Amino acid sequence: MATTTLTPAATNSRSALYEWLTTTDHKKIGILYIVNSFVFFFIGGVFALGVRTELAQPGLQFFNDQTYNELFSMHGTIMIFLFVIPMLAGFGNYVVPLQIGAPDMAFPRINALSLWMLPLAGILLLLGFVTGGTAAAGWTSYAPLSENRPLSAVGHGQDLWILALVLIGTSSILGAINFLVTIFKMRAPGMTLFRMPILVWTVLVTAVLVLMATPVITSVLIMLFIDRNYGGSFFDPIARGGDAILYQNIFWFYSHPAVYVMVLPAMGMISEILPVFSRKPLFGYKAFIFATAAIGALGFSVWAHHMFTTGAVYLPFFSIMTFLIAVPTGVKMFNWVFTLWRGQLMLKTPLLFALGFLSMFLIGGIDGAMSASVPVDFALHDTYWVVSHLHYVLFGGSVFGIMAGLYYWFPKMTGKMMNETVGKAQFVLMFIGFNLTFFPMHELGLAGMPRRIADYSSTAGWNDLNLLATIGGFTIAASMTLLLWNLAISLRSGAPAGDDPWEGNTLEWATSSPPPPYNFDHLPEIRSERPLFDLRHGRTAEH
Amino acid sequence: MSSSPRSRSARPAIFALAIVALIVGVSLLLLAVGVNVLHIGDTFVAGLFPPVAVTQQGAKIRDLYTIVFLIAVAIFVVVEALIIWSVVRYRRKPGDDTLPPQTHGNNIAEFVWTIVPTLIVIFMFFVSWDTLNAVDTSAADAQTTKITAQAGQFQWQFDYIGPDGKTVVYTEFLPLVSQGGGMMVPAGRTVQLSLVSHDVIHAFYVPQFLFKRDVIPGRTNQFDFTVDAADAGQTFRGQCAELCGSGHSIMLFEVKALAPADFDKWLADKAAAATASPAPAPSGSPGSSSAPAPSGNPGASSAPAPSQGATGPTLQVTASGIQYVEKTLTAPANTPFQIVFDNQDPGTPHNVSIHKDSPTGEEVFKGEVFPGVAKKTYDVPALAAGTYGYVCTVHPTMTGTLTVQ
Repeated sequence: MATTTLTPAATNSRSALYEWLTTTDHKKIGILYIVNSFVFFFIGGVFALGVRTELAQPGLQFFNDQTYNELFSMHGTIMIFLFVIPMLAGFGNYVVPLQIGAPDMAFPRINALSLWMLPLAGILLLLGFVTGGTAAAGWTSYAPLSENRPLSAVGHGQDLWILALVLIGTSSILGAINFLVTIFKMRAPGMTLFRMPILVWTVLVTAVLVLMATPVITSVLIMLFIDRNYGGSFFDPIARGGDAILYQNIFWFYSHPAVYVMVLPAMGMISEILPVFSRKPLFGYKAFIFATAAIGALGFSVWAHHMFTTGAVYLPFFSIMTFLIAVPTGVKMFNWVFTLWRGQLMLKTPLLFALGFLSMFLIGGIDGAMSASVPVDFALHDTYWVVSHLHYVLFGGSVFGIMAGLYYWFPKMTGKMMNETVGKAQFVLMFIGFNLTFFPMHELGLAGMPRRIADYSSTAGWNDLNLLATIGGFTIAASMTLLLWNLAISLRSGAPAGDDPWEGNTLEWATSSPPPPYNFDHLPEIRSERPLFDLRHGRTAEH
Repeated sequence: MSSSPRSRSARPAIFALAIVALIVGVSLLLLAVGVNVLHIGDTFVAGLFPPVAVTQQGAKIRDLYTIVFLIAVAIFVVVEALIIWSVVRYRRKPGDDTLPPQTHGNNIAEFVWTIVPTLIVIFMFFVSWDTLNAVDTSAADAQTTKITAQAGQFQWQFDYIGPDGKTVVYTEFLPLVSQGGGMMVPAGRTVQLSLVSHDVIHAFYVPQFLFKRDVIPGRTNQFDFTVDAADAGQTFRGQCAELCGSGHSIMLFEVKALAPADFDKWLADKAAAATASPAPAPSGSPGSSSAPAPSGNPGASSAPAPSQGATGPTLQVTASGIQYVEKTLTAPANTPFQIVFDNQDPGTPHNVSIHKDSPTGEEVFKGEVFPGVAKKTYDVPALAAGTYGYVCTVHPTMTGTLTVQ
């Protein structure tokens, strides 16, 4: 494909397309990760709108049950595996080498491989639509519903789902190794571990989680593939004597830590933005690092809280561990709030999204502690309350964090500022739309509406709240068109950003915008976690 | 935390007052145009709590929810107030370029906000554990009613266990009260419910019990519940809460509470009727020939088949894989005829019910529901010429077209 775009005149300098397709520059790869993730964000968003449209009123108006199941299964799979995880990996790719003063990632070609596996996986996943239906057993694809058996997952869609997830998992593992080697081996002189920016720390812990957990889900996917295609008997108890609970244990051993993979780097981004826009250091830098490590460690001991109602787990252990993981999360929350406290807050768009993160993730986190109470979870599990909780964590947390990061680092990536007015309008619309969509789901779940149902009775008392949530969903969609509009006008005619438009603290603001391929002409002295602040104001006391 | 005094400004107070004024103003405006704001507020607050529990166990869970929820609200209010206060109070004034105090942290503060939340969650764990031990125990004795709920794609059936604790004395194949079925339970008496699945994972969920438990193939789950005696006569909605395939949203059931004496009489009647006409009879079991009788199950006294003489043809219908093999049938007008219904799905109940015009039209005949593998013969009364739909009462997705001419 690339050769066809070459013209004789291009022999000296390759075409821009060829350059982007073959690049091993971490910055270009990071931007490609981000663009690819946004493409899937919009595809997954369209599926979400399909779900909300069907649920706006009782009765099946637009889809049948099977298509509806495909929609929410693809929505969940795409948002988790092709949007949030790769999006954060993209920001990590772009920012981490810059923040530690490195010229690139440790393995640039492996980095390109990790990237290009993702669109391939996405295409495989969506291929289900033309081969008789995608996977329809939810993003969790619990066995035996995901087994190849009548009334379950008979088509190729489920196999394509497995292949896609194995590819994405492999990409994640390669990326995690790359991050770990980069962070441990390529830091600039003076950049000790406890002078690393918090984003680098959160990417470090995330990489450890990915490296330990992803092979486990790969194993369960391969077992399911064997069950489906070669007569294996891992998970189908009726036909072949397998164990349905085994699937859930292995699946969640990965997929709960995956929640932290999806939220820790967003926390890291917030922890870069809040200090800059408060003009203060992060409150409790070391406490924050220890809290991140604690979340990573505890994250491996809470997986069965997704299985409280199976009657097949030791409830008190998973309950207390789930309660305890709220403690380091709470420590972070207080550190963020006291970073704002007595600061000089510049209410620019990145800070607005960061504040949105604080407020919304607060609700998501408190919800998590509530459902750690086993009897309460008996009532709430698998209802819309859980849908609300997970979106307050992954949308209210991760997506607000991603938006904050986008507005914060866009000037560095492009050399141009994003439009503040459109940005603020997007924030307001997204904040309202988000709460309109997901807060009523708390009440729907308490009123007894289960997840993943295509239809509900008009007499169940769920009509108004569902309509409200659908209106909210379209409000979010409107806010995303504002984002696209802002990206378009800013790329074309955004104000020049200069090297350091926000008075940043970390090394990426010490080079040009966008940075040269080798990143730095020279590095400032690194004596603290805020080398650029030190350059501007001189060092302040540690305490 | 080092501190440098800052001049207090009155602006935050004005800002807060403005917001309060805005809310009050909008509320008054809505009241003026006839929207009952107070009612909406009430509904909103009530919606933050689960429904009032109808079981003793559910009431304990609701009490626990209230404790946990109030703690959650308190934490939210404190932290959110800190965030909003910081934003309002410490936002940058135009032209103010002074660098704020560079506070790096405070170990005492870190210690406090590690220890206090730890104590709070440990308290929440212990109250939860206490409730768990009270609601998730089995205290089955001779008085306990034992029921087994069997789940399959996409229906529920309920087996009532006899006094010996083992034998199934009656099986209800229809999950809804409106179909003449439903799960009957004695109010005030403990029910021990066993959960069995034939295929994939389902979940038994009754919102008003504030409880659900997964129904997992290959293992039998169990839980006890006691419907309050005061709730006798009430019907509670339930449905599958674990995605189970393309019929997940229609996998509904209802639980009806009866006074214990009524329940005993109901079960004795049903058990006697079941004994009188053993379930998978080879053939000839009456499909309650005419009018939609109290429905669902044939009377014990096999009413003599009507006008056997004028019997028309015998039609063959087979059910396999939750589908009718024969999707179209033809029958003569104004002549009673027979359907030999062959249910090939092991353990799955089916029937043939005939409806005017389409499968959702007015019901003109309903055959007995029975589980496979078994075969029964339905006597269908004379039908006027026209198009009819036939459907399985248990599986609304199983349909076919009957042409009477």
